[in-house]
Amino acid sequence: MKLSDIMGNANLSFYAEVAMVIFLIVFLTVAVRLFLPSRQKELEEASRLPLEDDASYAAVPRKD
Amino acid sequence: MSATALPSTGAVSSAQLESFSYDDAVVRKFLWATFIWGLVGMLVGLIVALQLANPIFNTSLEWLSFGRLRPLHTNAVIFAFAGNAFFCGAYYSTQRLLKARMYSDFLSSFHFWGWQAIIVAAALTLPLGFTQAKEYAELEWPIDIAIAVVWVAFGVNFVGTMIKRRERHLYVALWFYIASIVTVAILHIFNNLSIPAGLFKSYSIYAGVQDAFMQWWYGHNAVAFFLTTPFLGLMYYFMPKAADGPVFSYKLSILHFWSLVFLYIWAGPHHLHYTALPEWASTVGMLFSVMLWAPSWGGMINGLLTLRGAWHKVAEDPILKFFVVAITAYGMSTFEGPLLSIKSVNALAHYTDWIIAHVHTGALGWNGFLTFGMVYWLLPRLFQTPVYSKRLMELHFWIASFGILLYVVAIYSAGVTQGLMWRAFDVTGRLAYPDFVETVVRLLPMYWLRVVGGSMYIVGMLLFGWNIFMTWRRRPATYVVPVITAPALEKKYIPEPEYGGAPAPVGLWGRFASATWHRKWERMPITFTVLTVIAVVVASLFEILPTFLIKSNVPTIASVKPYTPLELAGRDMYIAEGCFNCHSQMIRPFRHETERFGEYSKPGESVYEHPFLWGSRRIGPDLARIGGKYPHLWHVRHFEEPTSITARSIMPAYPHFLTKTINFEQIQSRVDAMAMLGVPYGDAVNSAPAMARAQAAEIAAEIERQGGPSGLSDKQIVAMVAYMQRLGMDLRTPASTVGMTQ
Repeated sequence: MKLSDIMGNANLSFYAEVAMVIFLIVFLTVAVRLFLPSRQKELEEASRLPLEDDASYAAVPRKD
Repeated sequence: MSATALPSTGAVSSAQLESFSYDDAVVRKFLWATFIWGLVGMLVGLIVALQLANPIFNTSLEWLSFGRLRPLHTNAVIFAFAGNAFFCGAYYSTQRLLKARMYSDFLSSFHFWGWQAIIVAAALTLPLGFTQAKEYAELEWPIDIAIAVVWVAFGVNFVGTMIKRRERHLYVALWFYIASIVTVAILHIFNNLSIPAGLFKSYSIYAGVQDAFMQWWYGHNAVAFFLTTPFLGLMYYFMPKAADGPVFSYKLSILHFWSLVFLYIWAGPHHLHYTALPEWASTVGMLFSVMLWAPSWGGMINGLLTLRGAWHKVAEDPILKFFVVAITAYGMSTFEGPLLSIKSVNALAHYTDWIIAHVHTGALGWNGFLTFGMVYWLLPRLFQTPVYSKRLMELHFWIASFGILLYVVAIYSAGVTQGLMWRAFDVTGRLAYPDFVETVVRLLPMYWLRVVGGSMYIVGMLLFGWNIFMTWRRRPATYVVPVITAPALEKKYIPEPEYGGAPAPVGLWGRFASATWHRKWERMPITFTVLTVIAVVVASLFEILPTFLIKSNVPTIASVKPYTPLELAGRDMYIAEGCFNCHSQMIRPFRHETERFGEYSKPGESVYEHPFLWGSRRIGPDLARIGGKYPHLWHVRHFEEPTSITARSIMPAYPHFLTKTINFEQIQSRVDAMAMLGVPYGDAVNSAPAMARAQAAEIAAEIERQGGPSGLSDKQIVAMVAYMQRLGMDLRTPASTVGMTQ
């Protein structure tokens, strides 16, 4: 009996459904956490990170 | 000016201030490489576009025929142009977002030179016919190993920088980079697993359905994690920079990230609709592709709305113009992608130029324009002098925009035209265009229009290069290297009082809601990386493993036997010439396809196909059932000069097949490698050359009998004829008389 026969008869599709539910829960957790009031200040600060980093080039003349 | 202290942004003001500088030298190198390889890749694209418009451009040099150059074009623009552009932007932004120099200058340099060496190796080996025959994974095994080594060096350098960073929060752009780096590594390694049969020859360890599945799991995610997520990371960094304001919604960008990570990896099977792939896999691929609509458009809207309050700047700032078109192109191609993944749409679009138009909207618009905008933004900062000419930037923008428009409009119409012609029946119920070449020559005017559109894009590229060059020439004698000071991060996480200044969280929910654990967790980039990998790997396993492990997915057919040694040699020539770039070997179960090409293809037919050669585009007809359709001599004449058989054919000529000799001794190593993969080769593992010689003599004699040239028994053409005549025969012939005896 080959491995593929064993796997074929094992009825594993249930695990795929469990995995999907776990994935969904993880995703929803991420999504819900994003909107927690306690995180808003942190996220607001994080969104400004790209704008804070090259003050050192301010002296370089820019044409555009 | 030479030493500028940044204000401390961390909470730990008591920590020791550290001084450091950024490595911009490597960013400048990647910038040059982006331009140079971009130009090369696009010029090769122009050559292949001309070859399709008129086969005369195939010239008589076998190294420069369409089948060999097309992979060079795709590899060059994906891995050389877009790859170097990603590295350029990633090295610039990562150091700044993490307030740290790259972990190791040696690794940065190794990454740069290693990657360029790989590109050169690709540019040499692909025209020489060394290919694994898997789209965007054509490079042979020694180069694949080099790619893995260089990629790991990049990954180590990146993670090392994250570990010694001085900014607590990992900005979302970095998440996109991390996901790209780890996923590309996984995709590359698993799709390229193969058994070598010589220095530049290998056979995929997977066969047929499984190989197709692995390939398009890889192929689609190469698009996702090489051309999409890295560039989204760049967008989330450079778009706020250029617009001078934070991204429209940081929350949306995080949702964008996690949705893509959870969804993209499943979408691959939509490249195999109506093929011999099990239908459940095809449906899963379609559903996840359709779900991608939401995050993709969320991301597009997020990018565009970052311009809120700055729209008036778009009129005068060419950089913003490039970004707006890039993000719009992202929106259009990610609208179209899910649309094409819907089976009924795919039935029309698959194998046609529609797909080519789709990828060019993405590549020219999204990847190209984002790169141009980013490089123009970087030029004054990297070369520390104003950009040479803003007017040239404007001109580049307009000429390239019209070039894209002309290109995609022409190729969309070519795709729809050919798709409709293939499926057209006349009133008597017969194919309206039974002659395949009719459906090809109808496209030639559109192919010429593509040449014009593509050329305009290349003219834009030259303006781009001129602007880079002239800006570089005006650089200062020595670059100023600013010294940055920032406090080091504490080794241990200390809850920060300023987050709300609220009392310490109480209870399970309180601790969860305060997200302390997440900030702790975020300080461990390796853990974060591992969790991203789990999301990707688990999804891949659930989708791919069943076709390997569950028998009912690939029903076997008793009469399907391995290729004879000579047929295998012919198949290797078919691979080397890149025939699969124009010819599919996969007949879909539609009436118009079975009328035209014969019985539809079954999964069990390709169980010995290492690698699978189903193809993805029909510039020429399907060959799955070509065996026995024409006499040997027809093939000899056709390979020698296709137009002597089909007057309007655009196929390149292969006269060298009739003069070059077969390396019979080499066939043994090929057969042995196949046998190692479990192909039941029986006696052939000991006597492949002799068996091949015997079959070659038979075929040569038959060609002579049919009035063809004599003395072909050791010429490559007989191997090719042997392979052509075998295709599709296993289903027609009783098991005992086909192929190998065991």
